[in-house]
Amino acid sequence: MTTTATSTLTDRYVAATLRRLPARQRTDIERELRASIADAIDERLESGADPTEAETAVLTELGDPDRLAAGYADRPPYLIGPALFVDYTRLLRTLLATVVPAATVGVALLRTVQGDTVTGVLGTALGTAITVAVHIAFWTTLAFAIVERVPSRRHPGGWRPGRWDPAALPEPPSRRIRYAELVSETAALVLFSSLILLSPVLSIERDADGRPVGVLSPWLWDTGVVYVFVAVAALSLGFSYAKYYLRWNLALGIIGTLVNLAAPAMLIWLATTDRMLNPAFVEAAGWSPEVPRWIGTGLVVLAVLTILHSIGEAAGQARRR
Amino acid sequence: MPDDELLSTHLQELRRGSVVLACLLILKKPNYGYALLELLQRRGFAVDANTLYPLLRRLEKQGLLTSDWNTDESRPRKFYRTSAEGFEVADLLHQDWETLNAAFRTLRDEP
Repeated sequence: MTTTATSTLTDRYVAATLRRLPARQRTDIERELRASIADAIDERLESGADPTEAETAVLTELGDPDRLAAGYADRPPYLIGPALFVDYTRLLRTLLATVVPAATVGVALLRTVQGDTVTGVLGTALGTAITVAVHIAFWTTLAFAIVERVPSRRHPGGWRPGRWDPAALPEPPSRRIRYAELVSETAALVLFSSLILLSPVLSIERDADGRPVGVLSPWLWDTGVVYVFVAVAALSLGFSYAKYYLRWNLALGIIGTLVNLAAPAMLIWLATTDRMLNPAFVEAAGWSPEVPRWIGTGLVVLAVLTILHSIGEAAGQARRR
Repeated sequence: MPDDELLSTHLQELRRGSVVLACLLILKKPNYGYALLELLQRRGFAVDANTLYPLLRRLEKQGLLTSDWNTDESRPRKFYRTSAEGFEVADLLHQDWETLNAAFRTLRDEP
């Protein structure tokens, strides 16, 4: 037989293989595996090989013991196999796209009601989004990995993954609906811009001299930011038209999405730096200092939702093409 | 010349399952792991030890093979033999193989 040093290598190999097998199979597999390895080594010794080299060569040929054990245990060497993979990704996508935004907005609103600062609300919302996403990914994966290992699934008549039906195909949004959306978007933009631009004149509050006090901060007019804001909004409307009349392409999609993100990003910047409301108006209206903060938080939440919506829409369009 | 890696993937796909039929046919005569590995390789069925050994146990579990420990010699060996059910399955698999073979030939000979 072989020397002590070389038999240790076989012992270690056999032990490594058996480690991951159910106890009731071990004795039988060990006996057979040892015999097979010994047979293979003998064959090499007969053709004049060195004992140590022969053993090393035989074990190398047998390969990774974990892989061999997976074969013996009839365990799939993958987490989620092709039969379940499509269902897995579909469920994961659906859960991520629905639960994460819902939980994030819910927590953000709760924090806002509790009177947290804007940065506090944003931080908590971001933390919640990440935590919820990680949890969803982990538990969904774990559930599918377990289902993959339920033995009954492999037998005919056992559980089968969800049957697909052509009726489940996504419907292309009809052109008429998209046209109606375009019209309402235009109307909203015109109304919104007019209100913003006319707000210094249309205000309900008057100063001591009877001149109107605008709701929005005069800083916006002094610096011209308000015109930039309206221009960005108009530009994003322009891209809606471009998307409607031109064929979608990647450049158009990316630029359109960036323009769509610019307006809410500006809104967040203005709201968090307190440049939105006119302090004179707040004073004239007799609001408590809480009110402007509430309005600011509301605008930030609105802007974040708009950003999420734009990204989701862009991703959906990119996928459909 | 086709890409070597690509070709070996396709060959592997094509041969998957053929080892099962080869085992069921060859184990008319009882045989044990290592000798069977050698025999299969000599008969032109390229199979690795780490594929064959678990496969034999799987086929036994499915009732297509039976096994007996032979302790007559100094080294005890597990001998496998095709069961009655195994022969039935081998017949069906072989028929399918023949059908496929004929179908391929027809395809190839078509003008």
